[in-house]
Amino acid sequence: MQRKFLHTAAALAILLLFASACANYREPAQAAINEADTALQNIAADAQKYAPDQYRAVADQLESAKSTFAKGDYKAALAAARDLPGKVTELASTTTAAKDQAVAALKDEWNSLSGDIPQMVEAIQSRVDMLSKSRKLPKNIDQASFDAAKSGLESMKQDWTAATQASAAGNVEEAVARVKSAQQKGNEVLGLLKMQPPSPG
Amino acid sequence: MPDKDPPQAGSAGDNPYAQYYIVKKGDTLSKIALEYYGDPNLYPQIFDANRDILKDPNKIRVGQKLRIP
Repeated sequence: MQRKFLHTAAALAILLLFASACANYREPAQAAINEADTALQNIAADAQKYAPDQYRAVADQLESAKSTFAKGDYKAALAAARDLPGKVTELASTTTAAKDQAVAALKDEWNSLSGDIPQMVEAIQSRVDMLSKSRKLPKNIDQASFDAAKSGLESMKQDWTAATQASAAGNVEEAVARVKSAQQKGNEVLGLLKMQPPSPG
Repeated sequence: MPDKDPPQAGSAGDNPYAQYYIVKKGDTLSKIALEYYGDPNLYPQIFDANRDILKDPNKIRVGQKLRIP
């Protein structure tokens, strides 16, 4: 009887020791996971865009730590999560550098394209105005093409307005996207009106 | 002594999209207006756009580079 009691007491003591050890890992593991989770969420949008592979690696490690924690293996969860904050910091640094580089490239593109569009609009508008005064369209332009050219010109102007507004608001990415759209529409309109594009160089 | 080059239309503010036409033998501003606009009566607009090189709408010279608005 006494032996059985001693065995039970020993088993309980071991269990308590194990539970205590687990509790020692639980708090720091949870803290490391929470810290990494919050930091990663703060940079997720830019990181996914500018450093997608590195973001995926960090996000996978975080998910793995969370999964291990959920299974109650706090020691392993802590081991998995311990270096996550540092990796998130590295990811943030890589993301910022890549974003700065991308924005600089977009600004160059904007500077190159933005001077072109007003001249394109001016030339096309001049031709549309002339054709609008004409009693009959020239042989090489039919009414459908002229109508498409007029609506293309209006759409181009809208893109240009949106592009300049986006640029003024500091949204270079949107500005470049809209100015490219304006340029593409302008080229289509030039073709519809049988106007010559600028000679290269 | 070689002929002087015919005068050329202005640069239209250096707009690379400005449209030009080189005058050929037998051309008139009316013919050019018909070709580009479908209406010969619009020739005065071509004349106005080239007043820097044209003094008379009835006098254009082969080789002249005219701006077509």
